[in-house]
Amino acid sequence: MSVFMDLNLNYTTDKSRMRSLIETAAHLGFSTVAINHVFEPTAKKKQEIPSPTLIKELIDELPAVQGRSRPIRVLNRLTVVMSDSSHFRPNAAEYRGFDLLAVQPTTEKLFHAACMLYEVDIICVSVTEKLPFFFKRAPVNGAVGRGVVFEVSYSAAIRDSTRRRYTIANAVSLMESCRGKNVILSSAAEKPLEIRGPYDITNLGLLFGLSDADAKDAVSTTCRSVVLHAETRKLASGIIYTMKSCTESSSLQGAPPADTGEAPAAKRAKPHLT
Amino acid sequence: MVRLKSRYLLCEVIVPDRRHLLLLDDRAVAASVREAVARVHGDYGAALCSSRFSVKYLNAHTGIVFLRFPKRCYKLLWSALPFITSIEARGQSIACFLNCLHVGGTIRTCQKFLIRYNTQQLHRMLPKCKNEEEKQQVKKSILKCTLTKGNRKGLDFPSDDDED
Repeated sequence: MSVFMDLNLNYTTDKSRMRSLIETAAHLGFSTVAINHVFEPTAKKKQEIPSPTLIKELIDELPAVQGRSRPIRVLNRLTVVMSDSSHFRPNAAEYRGFDLLAVQPTTEKLFHAACMLYEVDIICVSVTEKLPFFFKRAPVNGAVGRGVVFEVSYSAAIRDSTRRRYTIANAVSLMESCRGKNVILSSAAEKPLEIRGPYDITNLGLLFGLSDADAKDAVSTTCRSVVLHAETRKLASGIIYTMKSCTESSSLQGAPPADTGEAPAAKRAKPHLT
Repeated sequence: MVRLKSRYLLCEVIVPDRRHLLLLDDRAVAASVREAVARVHGDYGAALCSSRFSVKYLNAHTGIVFLRFPKRCYKLLWSALPFITSIEARGQSIACFLNCLHVGGTIRTCQKFLIRYNTQQLHRMLPKCKNEEEKQQVKKSILKCTLTKGNRKGLDFPSDDDED
């Protein structure tokens, strides 16, 4: 039994809708979800980065996941839509409230910079328009080596027919350059009717050009490695370990002490986590 | 001896409002699946669908459907199922989606899975029971879940409890 995750549920201010989203996700079998706050800075005025809502405010009692006894785990995530390199400030204090960081580059240079330099976990591939740039092997391989994953979201394809073509076109070109590794599929669902079950998403992955094993990994193992990557990113090279329970600390026992200045184990070239 | 093999897909229809479930019937579900396949895969998909696709079983109370596809192309037709956003039934358009639970080679394997799945659902309903007699009803239903010979579904749901 593998663990399925859906790392992109769009945040809306309507609490009952968020609650029914999370309940539907738990009913379908996702053991972890992430609520996504999209931040799109415009050059004109300074905008506040949205602060993450506490999970306790959102929903009192987390529903149990279908087929398991544990309640569903809800994380917070921020997506920064970048059209300029000043939009994403690394190590900004506001980012610390979020568990996962994602970036959506809109130009080729930004994509290259995001793959090689920026401290993010996820790079989103936009689905609402035809990509103005092609994916080159060099930055994609660099990102794969660092542990950054690419994300394709599918709910635009469900809503609209022209978006469906863009989604499939962009996803297929991504799969060609990354050969199917380090990809996650997630819904950018705003309503509970837009989420789909994990086996259905695996099948959608076949449509996008992934192989059977890669498509199932895209919903389970790669998502899990993203969450672990995010945890180690917050950890400052593996020493400082705040507020985690003992079950989670055992997953990081492999991280060497950082006084030698080595990168933590999760940041080196990653083999597939089982 | 050459057999014509099929794949049986066990799906659950998920609607936000449970009363709409009772309006479903198998021809409506079949029509919406055919239409979704034609929308996504075009004429090729529609042609593949016409040979051996059918809705084998539909339970309006729980929203469980058995769909049969030919084995050669079931993945292609399965990939069109997430694009279903609503089902037209009895003049009304019900917003819903299909969640695939299990793929089997025969109806019997799907039935066995369904019985295990329904037992799990009953177990999940148990802590939510509001009074003692509902609890007793649920416990009795759990004990009754077996695959008896020639029986389609050996289950009896207490209809007042909500599944989540």
